[in-house]
Amino acid sequence: MVHLNAGAATDVGLVRPTNQDAHLATPPVFVVADGMGGHEGGEVASAAVVEEFARLARAGFDPSEAVAAVERALHAARARIVAHVQQRRAAGAVDYWSGTTVVAALLAADAEGPKWLLVNLGDSRIYKLHDDRFDQVSVDHSVVQQLIDSGQISAAEAEQHPERHVITRALGPGGDAEPDLFVLPLGSARRLLLCSDGVSGMVDDAEMGRIVREVADPRDAAEQLVARALAAGGEDNATAVIVDVVGWTAPGAADDTRAEPVRLEDKLGALP
Amino acid sequence: MNDTHEQPVTVSAFRPGAWFGIVGPAVSVFLPPSEKARVGALWELVDGGADFDEVLDSLIASGLRSLPGFLLLGSAEPDTRVVARGAARAVFDLASGEQVTVDGAEAGTWNERVLAGVARVSVLLEDGDGAPGEHSVDAGLVRVARLDRPPVVPEPVAASEPVPAPSIAPEPVLPDPVLPDPVLPDPVVPEPITPEPFVPSPEPVQPEPVEPQPSPEPAEPEPAPLAAADEVSADVPSWPPAGWPAPAPLPDVAPEPSLEPPLSIGSWKRDDDPATGELATTGGEPGPADDEQTEVLDLAGIEAAGAEPPAPGGWGPPTWGPPSATETPEHDGQTVSGGGWDAGEYARQQPGIPGQPPAPEVTAQPVATLVFAHGEVVAVDRAVLIGRAPEARRFTSTDQPRLVTVPSPNHEISSTHLEVRPGSGADHGSAVVTDMGSTNGTVVVQPGLGPESLTPGMPVQLLPGALIDLGDGMTIQVAGA
Repeated sequence: MVHLNAGAATDVGLVRPTNQDAHLATPPVFVVADGMGGHEGGEVASAAVVEEFARLARAGFDPSEAVAAVERALHAARARIVAHVQQRRAAGAVDYWSGTTVVAALLAADAEGPKWLLVNLGDSRIYKLHDDRFDQVSVDHSVVQQLIDSGQISAAEAEQHPERHVITRALGPGGDAEPDLFVLPLGSARRLLLCSDGVSGMVDDAEMGRIVREVADPRDAAEQLVARALAAGGEDNATAVIVDVVGWTAPGAADDTRAEPVRLEDKLGALP
Repeated sequence: MNDTHEQPVTVSAFRPGAWFGIVGPAVSVFLPPSEKARVGALWELVDGGADFDEVLDSLIASGLRSLPGFLLLGSAEPDTRVVARGAARAVFDLASGEQVTVDGAEAGTWNERVLAGVARVSVLLEDGDGAPGEHSVDAGLVRVARLDRPPVVPEPVAASEPVPAPSIAPEPVLPDPVLPDPVLPDPVVPEPITPEPFVPSPEPVQPEPVEPQPSPEPAEPEPAPLAAADEVSADVPSWPPAGWPAPAPLPDVAPEPSLEPPLSIGSWKRDDDPATGELATTGGEPGPADDEQTEVLDLAGIEAAGAEPPAPGGWGPPTWGPPSATETPEHDGQTVSGGGWDAGEYARQQPGIPGQPPAPEVTAQPVATLVFAHGEVVAVDRAVLIGRAPEARRFTSTDQPRLVTVPSPNHEISSTHLEVRPGSGADHGSAVVTDMGSTNGTVVVQPGLGPESLTPGMPVQLLPGALIDLGDGMTIQVAGA
């Protein structure tokens, strides 16, 4: 049986007037959404995502059909955002827009057993801790990520790049709203961090990694990450969700004897 | 630099945007986001003190056709000279009180004017939001949506009050209509405009439209940005659609960009850039009206630039899938960038190794069957990722790979060791195997051939009967479908 322990923290930051981030930490569903848009548009969009995923968490879903469940939740959230925008536009704000990033982690399953299903849309991030290594799993949908991918700039340059906040996908009317999906074995990600760019943009990976590695309690870890983002300037809403997998051991982790102990050389007689 | 022979006015106010502004003491050049490659060389020229003609020569050296738009402004001469092409325009307030607009979209090649006695010039590159910016630049390279030289001292609202301003001062009010203009549809907003009739402006700009008229276009002859923008779209079809926002969401603007949606993809400018973040904040603080302006106006352009029908209610149902449309929403009056981006750059990376030929996501019929040494049998009708603890990265809801975990008591097999997927192109109908950069490598023995070590990232077609060795005693027999 898999148990998930989670902690979450969020803060408006030191610069923004409102907190447009929203999050959910209701096992087995975890979400961070960073809203954008005029007036309350950002809050509406990020809240729509979180509410749809909360509905999913409450109603439950077939872990082997988690991809379809995510698709439905995002579709419903997007429909709500679009309806909201349409309503505001019909009311006279003809150019109203609202949208949000999404990162989500769901406990899913395939034929082999439980897995993490991770979802990314935009530039919020998912990191994993495995064997004491802290690694980013999601790949930002951003202009600078494209520049990094094509080798035009280095990751260090990206941190100072003037377009580092330009994202290429988001959940909202129009544009590209197709999420990246990831499936990870639970054993490869005993601890997950989901955060908005108010955390990852203010605190460098090394410092985030230190906190994620060293702070045992997920609530404390999430709070320290947000506190660190504020201490670094708090330029944006900062949200962090930490999830720990407890009480689960990978089947066959140490005792697998099914492997056929015949090497290719033996079968073929020789290898080059 | 030679500020000395310059007029006292060398400081400009600008609003950040997607265009490149190469601002020099004598000459300033503005280029659309797509022309990034030219910026460096032009900056050298401008900063080196090149004159108007030299810069113009350089601009058109590679032909005019390759340059969808630009605006060149010579400010060191007694007369102000301007050349505008494409979606760039400049509004000149003359000392005489006259206002002249030079719009690149009005001409097939370019629009050139020489003007004397210019009191102020406003360079308008992105029609979305007409508000003057609050950043200032003397000389330098900036991303810009609008530039005013000299800066508009009174802010839009303030400008309507200082009646006593000299003959030049009332004029600056004129560019303002550009700002409140599209805001008008919101009946709550007319406020900033209301005071204007009291301005003894030589031109009764908009005395009447104050009525909460739903029409976003007050009877305003000159700076009519909507019309101008229309022409932009109509005249310069090769223009990349996203990037800078054309004007208000007129229905007739929409079909235009849709002719070439794949050119670029939307991008969303987050407002968390510290440099511009303050803008966002100030935009939020002054009150709803202010916020509305920036937000609404920018989006106007974005919508128009996007391929989606901009009219409210005009979108189809939310779609889930690859980007067919380009929309570039943005946040808090920040400017959208991304006009020069090629759709290909944004194509989602296939799961697997970059450079690998794309394969059908999921085939109707398996192209092969994999028989694992530990007994598992897996049909290859989609990507199959095999390893000690395989991970699937960056897939979509329609191409979810299958993960197969294989035992590796000695950890010789990497966590995601190799991928087998239906082949495409020349490999169509068969399976291809790719080593995913495994630590210990993969050996394949095709029937009738000797063992072959896979080069990581290089797909190899699998013939029925082939044997794949991952190490640690794990082999996979490839059988026909």
